[in-house]
Amino acid sequence: MDIQPIHPPPTSFWRRYVFSTDHKYIAKQFLWAGLIFLALGGSLAMMIRWQWAYPGQPMPIYGSLFLRKSGGIITPALYPSIFTMHGLIMIFFAITPILIGAFGNLTIPLMIGARDMAFPTLNMLSFWTFLVSQALMIAAFFVKMGAASAGWTTYPPLSDSIGTPGWGQTLAVMAIFVTGVATIMGGINYITTVIRCRAPGMTWGRLPLTVWGMWLTAILNVLFVPVLGSGGLLLLLDRLFGTQFFIAGASAVNGGGDPLVFQHLFWIFGHPEVYILILPAWGIMCDLLSFFSRKPSYFYKGSVGAMVAVTLLSAIVYGHHMYVTGMAPLLGKGFMTFTVMISVPAEVLFLNWLQTMWKGSIRLETPMLWTMGTVFVFGLGGLTGLFLAIVSMDLYLHDTMFVVGHFHLTMAAASFMASMAGIYFWFPKMFGRQLNQTLGKIHFWFSMIFIPLVFGGQLLAGYSGQQRRLFDPYQYTFLRHLQPLNQWTSYFAFILGAAQLVFVYNFVVSVFAGKKASDNPWEVGTLDWDTPSPPPYHNFDVVPHVQRGPHELGDPAVKKALGRDWIGQWEEMPGEKSGQAAPKLAEAH
Amino acid sequence: MRRLQSLWTAALALGLSARALAEPVTAKGLGLPPDASADGYRIDELIHETVIFIAVMFGIMVVWMLLAAILHGRKHEAFYTHVTRRGQIVSLVVIGVLVAADADLYIDTMRDMSEVFWNFAPVDADPNAIKIEIDAHQWAWSARYAGPDGKFNTPDDVVTLNDIRAPVGAPVIFEITSTDVIHSLYFPNFRVKMDAMPGMVNHLWLRPKETGEYEVGCAQHCGINHYKMRALFTVLPEADYQRWLREASANAERAYDPADTVAHWGWDWTNPRPIEGDQPPLPKAATARAAGAAHEEGI
Ligand SMILES: [Cu+2]
Ligand SMILES: [Cu+2]
Repeated sequence: MDIQPIHPPPTSFWRRYVFSTDHKYIAKQFLWAGLIFLALGGSLAMMIRWQWAYPGQPMPIYGSLFLRKSGGIITPALYPSIFTMHGLIMIFFAITPILIGAFGNLTIPLMIGARDMAFPTLNMLSFWTFLVSQALMIAAFFVKMGAASAGWTTYPPLSDSIGTPGWGQTLAVMAIFVTGVATIMGGINYITTVIRCRAPGMTWGRLPLTVWGMWLTAILNVLFVPVLGSGGLLLLLDRLFGTQFFIAGASAVNGGGDPLVFQHLFWIFGHPEVYILILPAWGIMCDLLSFFSRKPSYFYKGSVGAMVAVTLLSAIVYGHHMYVTGMAPLLGKGFMTFTVMISVPAEVLFLNWLQTMWKGSIRLETPMLWTMGTVFVFGLGGLTGLFLAIVSMDLYLHDTMFVVGHFHLTMAAASFMASMAGIYFWFPKMFGRQLNQTLGKIHFWFSMIFIPLVFGGQLLAGYSGQQRRLFDPYQYTFLRHLQPLNQWTSYFAFILGAAQLVFVYNFVVSVFAGKKASDNPWEVGTLDWDTPSPPPYHNFDVVPHVQRGPHELGDPAVKKALGRDWIGQWEEMPGEKSGQAAPKLAEAH
Repeated sequence: MRRLQSLWTAALALGLSARALAEPVTAKGLGLPPDASADGYRIDELIHETVIFIAVMFGIMVVWMLLAAILHGRKHEAFYTHVTRRGQIVSLVVIGVLVAADADLYIDTMRDMSEVFWNFAPVDADPNAIKIEIDAHQWAWSARYAGPDGKFNTPDDVVTLNDIRAPVGAPVIFEITSTDVIHSLYFPNFRVKMDAMPGMVNHLWLRPKETGEYEVGCAQHCGINHYKMRALFTVLPEADYQRWLREASANAERAYDPADTVAHWGWDWTNPRPIEGDQPPLPKAATARAAGAAHEEGI
């Protein structure tokens, strides 16, 4: 039976442009939805930075646009909403849709040689469910008493109806629940597609590492997003129906519940979430470093093993977020032990990246620059995690700006830069046009220089003792001398923010009027480049028979036979025995 | 590796303090706030070691990447390989160094946690220990001292708001809870913090090594006025502390109103359960102080 029949493209407007089931189109929908929210989350970040530089002073531009009621000033009541919505929007509604929704959808079927996802309708539903969750988030801005304000971690009892009354918080928790549903739909689809829809010959050992990253992320999503969902649901019951799952203290009746349980539920999801956002990035980095070093990805099996090890370990380290909650010492030490252990597979990946570049023939194209930038910021972010993994240092640094700097380098900066690497790399395949490379490089250098300065400034503020989430840090005498540091950090952040406009311009102009792209502009051998740019509705006229691994670059034998330094996964070498053992296995489908 | 001050000084000289970032440089500069705890040096040393360690590792990574980009550009063809013996050895050595450094930090912190920061039972048993109950609420800290009778929630209790006092040198142990939302009692100059959780009593202890006034902050987002939830921790000479406690207790007894049940928020001291099998005796405060002093000379 043919598992991948060719369906004719739909002809009705709605099925084509709105409720499309085409993974490539859904990828674009996720990309737009994610980029718009990235801009929104970034704007909120600018407001936070203004507040820390000049607390209580009217904010230029934004003030006259959004804060007219308060005379351009960010009020103490508004401020928690800003950082709460910034965090939630960036994590769930910007980085997740871009890195997983857009690139997962685009790359998985194309890179494994499938004509679409295993469940195209579920895929469409996943996007529209996601859009509902984004709408809920937007709605939260416009209700009485303001948007959610209990922090992105939403700890009860602050997040219950007494701590944070009003519909803003309720809508945000609902949005997280609904976006979780969308994520699970997508996850099931990704997992199944990789298992069932690989082209003949595409063995597990020949999968591009991008696909490995996406697949493992999907597994983590399907396992742990339900845990967040259950926490969110119980919290909604507490808020709306008067249950007391997480309520204790003065507002508890008849004994109440336990707020600490929510933290466990949250972080059982929350720590894997860090890897959910970084595994796709790691996969993309592995592949792109190989492509632009014109050399196979170093120690492929090691990279796969490291990613699998991280996936397994990610579930049992979450307690490092709770060292100072009164955790039993034995538990604390146990979680620390696992946390220190998880650094080893990450180190394997780093070394594989560096070894891939070594003795390559490196092309510093825009996607490569972004990838190297990701290695840089993720290196800094990963290393600073050591301070927080070790319990005694965390006693001091926990809940300070140091934590903020650390997770922004890993979750925000690294996933952002890897997303950009992906956008500059796959844009030709998505839209059939090239982004302007000069503008891309300008965008890169501004981001590269100012991202470490901004988040380095946060690390330094935390090192000097500044707590996170302070409306006015200078209420504390011991933080007063940090104002110049925070001001400089803010200036850097404003430059970083402004530099993103270069990308907005480049992206919008190139989508409609960019230079036409060739089918394989980067001259690489994964199956996504064995299709026209953009690919036809059914991706492949003939499903390719995979002959080899994804990174066959720089092979002298290939050079001799074909006169180029790469060979496609689908290509047979002249004189090489075709088909080798593997295809049989896949043909069993 | 407990003595790395010279390396640390070298690292400072290399500009790791990133002093240049802040213009104008204030009197205090950037870096850890002054350490007022007899055990703070344990955390500071670990932090300094880690800074040096990650600076070296990050440096190696950046130099490696830059060299690769400079030496191995378009001008030569790529060296075709999936994995090499030499490469694996290099990777193994680097990972070995990383694991060794991790292990060093791990062993140090395990010892510090077991001997000091999570070692509550000996402090609790120490007759000289100052016991304080903390009730956190939006947005202030209430502190309660048992008074001369040594019992909490009795008329001679001293209750203060945003004002915590202790004598220098003695271990101070806190039992912490919250009335409303989660707060976090944070002593930047003593390098420790502990969450105040509603429905739960948490423990924290520290040992002031110098008299003075130190700020106490809230480290957990607790609502609109989170940023104002500030208290003062005053470390007094022993005699001054005793005098203050005596007078405050006498005042409290005069003002005691049995009908005012809201004011009787205290609880019987819960005693931290010994959770681990062996509770090592506390390292002597005197030795710790000496070590702390030696540490300062080193810098
Ligand atoms: Cu974590
Ligand atoms: Cu508080």
